[in-house]
Amino acid sequence: MTRIKVRLFGVEARSLGRSELELDLPQAAPTCADVRRAAAAAAPRLASWLAICRFAINHAFVDEAAAVGPGDEVALIGMVSGG
Amino acid sequence: MSIQVEILDGPLPADGGAWSYPGAGAVVGFDGVVRPQEGEGEIDGLRYQAYQPMAERELARLARAIVERFGVLAVRVAHSRGFVPAAGCSFRLRIAAAHRKEAIWAMDWFIDQLKRDVPIWKSAVDAVERAGAGRASQ
Repeated sequence: MTRIKVRLFGVEARSLGRSELELDLPQAAPTCADVRRAAAAAAPRLASWLAICRFAINHAFVDEAAAVGPGDEVALIGMVSGG
Repeated sequence: MSIQVEILDGPLPADGGAWSYPGAGAVVGFDGVVRPQEGEGEIDGLRYQAYQPMAERELARLARAIVERFGVLAVRVAHSRGFVPAAGCSFRLRIAAAHRKEAIWAMDWFIDQLKRDVPIWKSAVDAVERAGAGRASQ
């Protein structure tokens, strides 16, 4: 089992009322795809947003196959609106 | 080549005047200013949330990208976080290049990418919300 904390921002954070989601994943070496599935199961209110979110690990965008380690800073990045 | 990235609290201060870079024949600038309306309603301003380390990293990545892609010479970019009142400046980009065209193309490309990749979010703030935030902080 791997415990992952996922940082939330913007509408995702507002929809859940918190800025972090803690997930226990059964995989010893989970990927972002595993984190996405676990987040949807743990927080169904996020499901519609998750479809358009990207993941960042340690402040860089990654793809779904990227491995997530216990010490990594994982962030869910939805639609951004800077400028 | 020179790249400068800043994320600052509140509205960006007035520009300090002319800026250039050795070898530049064109310096273009863009200021993003908060509109007093959002949708159909009037607002007091916008509150920006930045995922700071990643936002700085992405802004720097985009700056390096326009150096490589368009051959610009220097980039200065700043973005606000926190509350920016209507008419305040929340985003400023300055690009110096040898020639006008690459500077203008780079400007447009940078801003398109910013709106896709830089983890900064804005939310409208009206007078009621500001009063509530003020009471909460007392």
